[in-house]
Amino acid sequence: MSDWTVKDLEKYDEEIIKLAKKNNLDWFPISYEICDYYAMIGNMSYHGMPLHYRHWSYGKSFERTHQMYNLGAEGLPYELIINSDPSIAYLMRENPFYLQLLIMCHCVGHSDFFKHNLTFSKTGPETIIQRFKNAKKRIDSYIEDPSIGIEKVEKILDAAHALSLHIPPNCREYTPHKKLREDLIRRVKEGDKSVKGRDPDFFPIREEIDILGFIGEMALNLEDWERDIVEIVRQESFYFMPQIRTKIMNEGWASFWHFKLMNQLDLPQKYHIPFIKSHNQVVRPHTGRINPYHLGFYLFNKIEERHGIEECFIAREVCHDESFLRQYLTKEDCFELNLFSYSLYKKDYIINEVSDQEGWKDIKNSLIKQVGSNSFPKIVVRELKKNNTLCLKHEHDGRDLELSYAEKVVDYITRLWGGLVKLETVIEEDYFEI
Amino acid sequence: MATFKENKNVSDRSASDRQRHKDKIEKAIKDGIHNIVSEESIIGQDGNKKIKIPVKGIKEYRFVYGENENRKNVGSAPGHDIARGQKIGSKGDQGKSKNPNKAGKDPGEEYYEVEITLNELAEYLFEDLNLPNLQRKKFKQISTKTFKRSGYREKGIRPRLDKKETIKKKIRRKKKALKNGAIEEDDRFSFHNDDLKFRHIKEKKKKTSNAVVFFIMDISGSMTKDKKFLARSFFFLLYQFIRSKYENTEHNFIAHTSTAKEVNEDEFFNKGSTGGTLVSSGLDKCLEVIETRYHPSSWNIYVFQCSDGDNWPEDNDSALESATRLIDLSQFYGYCEIDPNDRGKRGWINVSQLSDLFGKLTSNAFKVAEIRKKDDIWLAFQRFFGGFQ
Repeated sequence: MSDWTVKDLEKYDEEIIKLAKKNNLDWFPISYEICDYYAMIGNMSYHGMPLHYRHWSYGKSFERTHQMYNLGAEGLPYELIINSDPSIAYLMRENPFYLQLLIMCHCVGHSDFFKHNLTFSKTGPETIIQRFKNAKKRIDSYIEDPSIGIEKVEKILDAAHALSLHIPPNCREYTPHKKLREDLIRRVKEGDKSVKGRDPDFFPIREEIDILGFIGEMALNLEDWERDIVEIVRQESFYFMPQIRTKIMNEGWASFWHFKLMNQLDLPQKYHIPFIKSHNQVVRPHTGRINPYHLGFYLFNKIEERHGIEECFIAREVCHDESFLRQYLTKEDCFELNLFSYSLYKKDYIINEVSDQEGWKDIKNSLIKQVGSNSFPKIVVRELKKNNTLCLKHEHDGRDLELSYAEKVVDYITRLWGGLVKLETVIEEDYFEI
Repeated sequence: MATFKENKNVSDRSASDRQRHKDKIEKAIKDGIHNIVSEESIIGQDGNKKIKIPVKGIKEYRFVYGENENRKNVGSAPGHDIARGQKIGSKGDQGKSKNPNKAGKDPGEEYYEVEITLNELAEYLFEDLNLPNLQRKKFKQISTKTFKRSGYREKGIRPRLDKKETIKKKIRRKKKALKNGAIEEDDRFSFHNDDLKFRHIKEKKKKTSNAVVFFIMDISGSMTKDKKFLARSFFFLLYQFIRSKYENTEHNFIAHTSTAKEVNEDEFFNKGSTGGTLVSSGLDKCLEVIETRYHPSSWNIYVFQCSDGDNWPEDNDSALESATRLIDLSQFYGYCEIDPNDRGKRGWINVSQLSDLFGKLTSNAFKVAEIRKKDDIWLAFQRFFGGFQ
């Protein structure tokens, strides 16, 4: 039996809103949906989108979460909120009252972050629900089309999903290379010295990391519906990329604020104590890993301590995880957080560095390399050959690709590209080509 | 002001995507079947034995970083007492404790453990396999007498007295008597001869089918562990298949070098032996066992032989002769040559390819297949039973 009613939530919501405003938070109105755990997992599988196109990977995601829930290995994340205006958030019916309040405070923090962080400025929260709905409609129509069907749709989706992260992290718009080519020809004709000697028939005209965009423009044999699916996946990535890039900050900010607001709410003891317990559970460090809730919560508190609350608001507006860590993570923090780095030597995990005078900088750099868009390899289009071979290059930064995966992805790209695809990389300090 | 909406909607939005995912896993089970037999002793187990199959998860491939010295992971340590160069774990145990959520990003550890019975496994394996008519005819049936229970009788022999039915009858009689007022509840009420019920048993003629499967393998030095692994996987598949077609299936392992003997499964697959290779010794042993224990009139005989193709040339003629006799006796004789990767490497001249030799045999009941790698197992199997040539 739950210890709350919707009336209770509404009553406290007013309080939370009052307090949050007093604290200068400014967020999208939130529309809460109360659902049971089964529906919750369903919603989580589709990233909280009320409507989303179908793909088996979301079924897999469901099974996995469901299995974990049943095993009790991991409680469900306490909150699910999407970057939309109004923000849609889900409350699990099974949760006790204090936890609903904690989640509501946490959601206010997220929604404030969505609304103000610059990384999110192009995500279009007012239209996102509609855009996902349209995408679903289109993909459904391809699945139902007797000349296409689910197998073919899946083939394209599988391949496009494999590349979904390979868009510009800053979500820069794609400029067609055919247009860039015209510009180049014009500038060459005008005698622009900076483009002297450039061959306008060499593609890409400029470095391109928007692999899906490039394929969408330049692949010769994609059918319209296939191109459309590639674009749907790409657009979805533009929407999610800012969340990937701000995982630590976003969770840190939401935790920072749920902690403040819950304390300011002046809750009776019977709610306050379990709240503290849950909070500690959420922001505890995970041995051998980085818990974004923990690190983000810690750092925002440190920023407030060192520079005042205004600085926190500035950081939440202008930073993403990479710049956030670069700017605010100090030697003392590394030490206090017990950060260390390790890697796999043959079959053993061996500690490389510990957070002391000599080690902390290296650890900080390694940490920066594993957050946001640094966590996955950067792949660029190097050359489009005259025989329609697409040459890609992995910008090697010391970390080698997992070849067994890379080979599969190259197969996927070949499927979309419809011609030969090559990938250059470096493996164990030697040039390597797939 | 936030809004609150009670969602009482019970629609299961991910149902169809879960089904698609399940379909893919089932396909992966089929595709990965050759991995199943690495651990357990499964030939000859009864069909309800459960085995756990690690099925590789349906991966969502992306470009990811491999795990090696150059990739430094940063994490929180539980305390300050750590030092550079300290070992904190090994790849194997790390995989287990890792958050499964991360599996999509880190390659190599994503799998589902599916528990199924051998019978279910056989179903999975063979549902797509349409046997040609030729093969179907060969599952011959033998009439035997069996006895079957068939209701109850008032007369019978003492050992077949059914106590439960007898008591039921008595209770019924007592109730009736109570109702009629003939007796009181507390009155003594004894058994009557009419209460007795006996189980009735009918004789029934029944068609049963027996099969015996012989596995013959060369265990001489040239059969390496890899080759034996392939042989084992293949034999497993064959055994399951035969077993799924007959009510009663027996199996025999015959290992040979230059001499042959009957062994158990463990010895068959795990013990090596030095010595030369006389294929005829294995075949003759098989003939001998058939003669003494499995008369072809009441047994369907299946013979499967695995070898890497080596034989002493002097033995070729007698091997061919014995093979011909075996083919006559058996429903099916399959020869499979296991040759993972050393084709072309065989240097010494007096080695002959058994597959060349057996190629001379022409019978519908005989087939040759070749396995060079895991993926060939299923193909070889189809070659034997799928009606492909």
